[in-house]
Amino acid sequence: MKFYINATLAFAMLLCTAVVLAEPFVSGGAIGSQTDDGYNALGPVVVQPIEFPHNTHAGTMGINCMYCHTYARRSAVSGIPRLDKCMGCHNLIESVKDKPRIKQLFAYWEKKEAIPWLKVHDLPDFVRFNHERHIQRFYFKDGRPVREVCGYCHGDVASMTTARRVKALSMGWCISCHQKDHQESATNLKTSNGPNDCWQCHK
Amino acid sequence: MSLSNLIKNWSSLRVKRPYQDQYKNADYKWGMVIDLDSCTGCNACTTACYAENNLPVVGKESFSKGQAMHWLRIERYWGEGTELAQFPDHGAQFLPMMCQQCESAPCEVVCPVGATHHTPDGLNSQVYNRCIGSRYCSANCPYKVRYFNWWQYPERAWPNPLEKQLNPDVTVRSKGVMEKCTFCVQRLTAAKNQARTDGRRVADGEVTTACAQACPTSAITFGNMADSQSQVAKIWARQQVELASDKQDKKDEGLRGYRIFEELRTYPSVLYLERVRNSDA
Amino acid sequence: MSGSNTIDRRDFLRVLGISGAAATLAGCGNTAIESGVEKVQSYVQPEDFVVPGVGVYYASTCAQCGSGCGVMGRVREGRILKLEGNTHSVISGGKICALGQAAVQVHYNPDRLTTPLMREGGELKPTTWDKAMATLTARLGGESTLKGAQIAFLTGEVSGHQKALIGNFLDSFNSTHHVVYDALSTATGQAASKAVLGAAQPLLQIDKATLILSFGNDFLGAGVSPVHMAAQYARFRKAPRGTLIQIEPRMTLTGANADRWYALKPGTEGVFALGLAHALLEHGQFAKTVPAPIVAALKEYDKETVSGITGVHADAIPHVAGMLMEHTPSLVLSGPSAEGQVNGAQNAAAILLLNVILGNAGKTLQGQASHPFPQLIASAGSYAALTQLNNSMASGQCQALLIAGSNPIFSAPGFLPFAKSMEKVPFKVALVTQVDETAAQCDLVLPLHSPLEAFGSHVSSYQPRGVEIGIQQPLMEGLYPDTRAFGDIVLDLLRQREPKNYKAFPDYYAYLKLAITKARPVFKSKLSDDDFWEDALRSGVLQLDAAPTALKTNASVVVVSKPEKHVIDVRYPFYFVPSVRADLRDGRHANLPWLQESPDSLTTIVWDSWVEIHPSTAAEMQIREGDILEVQSASGSVRAKAYLFPGLQPDTVSMPLGQGHTAYGRYANGMGVNPFKILNPLFDAQTGELATHATRVVIKKTGEHELMVKDEGATNLQQGRKLVATVAADQAELAKETSHVVE
Repeated sequence: MKFYINATLAFAMLLCTAVVLAEPFVSGGAIGSQTDDGYNALGPVVVQPIEFPHNTHAGTMGINCMYCHTYARRSAVSGIPRLDKCMGCHNLIESVKDKPRIKQLFAYWEKKEAIPWLKVHDLPDFVRFNHERHIQRFYFKDGRPVREVCGYCHGDVASMTTARRVKALSMGWCISCHQKDHQESATNLKTSNGPNDCWQCHK
Repeated sequence: MSLSNLIKNWSSLRVKRPYQDQYKNADYKWGMVIDLDSCTGCNACTTACYAENNLPVVGKESFSKGQAMHWLRIERYWGEGTELAQFPDHGAQFLPMMCQQCESAPCEVVCPVGATHHTPDGLNSQVYNRCIGSRYCSANCPYKVRYFNWWQYPERAWPNPLEKQLNPDVTVRSKGVMEKCTFCVQRLTAAKNQARTDGRRVADGEVTTACAQACPTSAITFGNMADSQSQVAKIWARQQVELASDKQDKKDEGLRGYRIFEELRTYPSVLYLERVRNSDA
Repeated sequence: MSGSNTIDRRDFLRVLGISGAAATLAGCGNTAIESGVEKVQSYVQPEDFVVPGVGVYYASTCAQCGSGCGVMGRVREGRILKLEGNTHSVISGGKICALGQAAVQVHYNPDRLTTPLMREGGELKPTTWDKAMATLTARLGGESTLKGAQIAFLTGEVSGHQKALIGNFLDSFNSTHHVVYDALSTATGQAASKAVLGAAQPLLQIDKATLILSFGNDFLGAGVSPVHMAAQYARFRKAPRGTLIQIEPRMTLTGANADRWYALKPGTEGVFALGLAHALLEHGQFAKTVPAPIVAALKEYDKETVSGITGVHADAIPHVAGMLMEHTPSLVLSGPSAEGQVNGAQNAAAILLLNVILGNAGKTLQGQASHPFPQLIASAGSYAALTQLNNSMASGQCQALLIAGSNPIFSAPGFLPFAKSMEKVPFKVALVTQVDETAAQCDLVLPLHSPLEAFGSHVSSYQPRGVEIGIQQPLMEGLYPDTRAFGDIVLDLLRQREPKNYKAFPDYYAYLKLAITKARPVFKSKLSDDDFWEDALRSGVLQLDAAPTALKTNASVVVVSKPEKHVIDVRYPFYFVPSVRADLRDGRHANLPWLQESPDSLTTIVWDSWVEIHPSTAAEMQIREGDILEVQSASGSVRAKAYLFPGLQPDTVSMPLGQGHTAYGRYANGMGVNPFKILNPLFDAQTGELATHATRVVIKKTGEHELMVKDEGATNLQQGRKLVATVAADQAELAKETSHVVE
């Protein structure tokens, strides 16, 4: 697709400045701490109401991310797995029912109360990030492994208990990937970029 | 985008006039047609716009200072040459006026920070968090359809629980930024994403703007002009109006299509159809 | 979340675990990437089709006016965000007006009543439902001894099963006093239509007409079923393009869209119509359409006489008559400005007579299809009903008054001592979503669910094609724990009064579902009862194909009196025309901020009242825009800013209705003034209805001046800029444009 950008010299120069400023993005994490791709923005450790062990579920048990995070492939927002999803399995797993975290889970379920999870990957409100498109493109079309695909933005969650932000999620970081040539699919060697249109992501 | 990239691609980044067949191979070029003979001036479209796009109600005081935030407004004129002292024998003249999504937009070139910018599908984008509120764009807009947030409206325009009506797909703009009609870009993006997932192009009629959807007389037609079979593309073709021309050379007579301020070479994406009046009546 | 029984019956809305108040908001605050700051709302046990971030549409019916438009509500994360038209609905045709859009602001209004109020020591104070219902039960429950005229139920236009329920409730007291009051009643016009055309509300087939001659009928604005009419109008304007001629003292929205607009003196519409009748009857082809005595009496209506009385140029009469002869079929309409006169019914009859002469009945005018459930059709409101109630209250006969959907203390004319009469009623209950002027005078005020939270059904008195029953279903859980559905409250009382008949209905939902499924055979549905009900909820409408009926016209009822000039009272030199805004209507929507900020179509004024005065008159009186004028009638006076408006008969001043609230929330209070209060006690001679357009006033300059808050710029003119281009109909090749109107 052919497109063009209207720009004055002034705009171009300012844009350069803006890019330079955007690179060393510092937010959330301890200043100077680095995300696993070298950006300066490791997120803080977030204390969740239940210390959910991703490492057990995704790591030890090898459960597909999308088994619990079902909304991610069908909606712009991934949401949090519904509580009855947890109960679907844990009602039947007698061996762990007495563990403190599972007891907490049952307590919420009995009260029919949603667990007040805190957002770990909270983008600014003017950003329109679409989970569905990324998963449709890289998992369903390209056939890449699901942990790799989710990991592009969320890191290796399977090695964490509660998730922590390990990617910068800044605009420059998004663009760095959108500018890359991605192979169209596993069988199609043609490459294409992610959209580079302001309004694709800014709302 | 690095500086080297910018210099390398300089020619493609300069202001350009639209050229013929520019969107021939594009997937999308959003366009609109407004039939002024069907428009009754009823305000359904303007209210629909408030509902869809989180437009703040500014109140009487701010309105009196010209701070209304209606992205889509209905202008009302009385007949040309009619002195006010006479009767408007042929009724009033209503003009729904919103961002014309110019192909060579006067607003884009004057923005000092590149907050407004042309998208690949032919819209003038407005990126709120980039905007510094210089208001140059508004000053340079011949249609006066850019609106500035003089106040922190989120704090006063939606007293609880009115804020629960806000559309989560649209940003609530804060003080100091410019905003304008987006052709309901949130709807367009959702439709494009769905089409991409399905491996197809957005079909005609699959997505429309809030104003066109509400309009009780269907005076507004919206669609993809890159699709020659779409309603909008057909109407533009039938009216013999070229997107990339600043002077239309119409072969046939009796065609009603025109663009407002075409002579300013803004190349608007909104085609108006002339109001018709029976002069024998 | 409210009690579990209310959730069970609304499985389709089940969003356990997400409360309305905690739903996330877009764009308020967060402008950086955050971790561990905001909570994320999750579902506990949602329906399978609930996906966060994906809007789901539910069908319902708009309750903003009586048209009964089918709507679709966009629901996301348990919140209703926006309404669109429902394409299944014949009435809305998938479209929606400004009023309909603003229904979400009734629901989310910050001034909504959230708890019951009870009068204690002269003041309304918040109370609990238990106490409120105890009071209600003590007065109106099983032990109540009230009967007949001792109890009255005052409503606005109400239809469907809510109307049936009110009837059931009053039946239990042997009362028939369901009083329907509509400040903008068209009862006079309906009476004339019934007499001349044989139908109170005939079907107007606008799209079939080649010429419409409208005497102040605002079918595009504040008329009956404006969304449907607008769609018809759009087809009317396609090739072969129909012509619209509008004659009225003050330009309405419809008049603003006319090919030719004529100003005439208010109340002389009938004279003009008879002038046209006279001109037409001079042509032999029409001679046999009316009885000879009428033809003879019309002789006096020559164009010079008619011109002298109406103030319209004499040449207009043969011209319009000629147009009517050239264009068949045509359609002649009468409207509020013709009907709201002391000779209103006579005016309307004279206007409708033209349809008889021109043979429009059966072509552009037909009878509505016969309705299988006439008891559900909205009953027409009238002023007469309100005066009867007023007298009953004043005499001390009325012991208990229930009010819903009506605000007479605001909208009744000032000369009617309604508030004073109401004081004599020992027990007054208002059922409202928001306190208004009338509710503020009641003893008990009960907070209702908004129409977006409650079940209901709507049967408009104007059924454009066949029969359509609109189903209203909740589009989200109640916003507040302490509001209740109108139907549930009335049914509660009924259960106490007649347990035998009503104990089977735990709530109004059950009542409505049973009533709808019982009607299944009429709709020839082969579905099971439950499927039929689900299907009705899904599509939002129940429809029946039925052919229009024939009209039985009767020209002989038209009274042709001697044409006479109005006697001018020198103390009140101006005619006073109250105008009805399509959005604010009688003022019931003045609490909606979108509508307050929506510029009036013709003047572009917002948030205010104004006095329209013709520029030539203003020049004579040296009045400029923004000068504060006192408009005084024999019954009272109001002050508002002057606005120079060319679409006005020069001896007339006009003010919009709907503003001037004193107790209707932050968006309505203190905005403008209420012209209902200066209407004179003048009534139509035949029907006794209030002659809303017959008041005469004097204009006084106060010397004060204020800026007019409006949207229009410094000029009303285009100054050669080709903003709105106009082309003559014979120059445009409309036939070559394929219609792009949605059929």
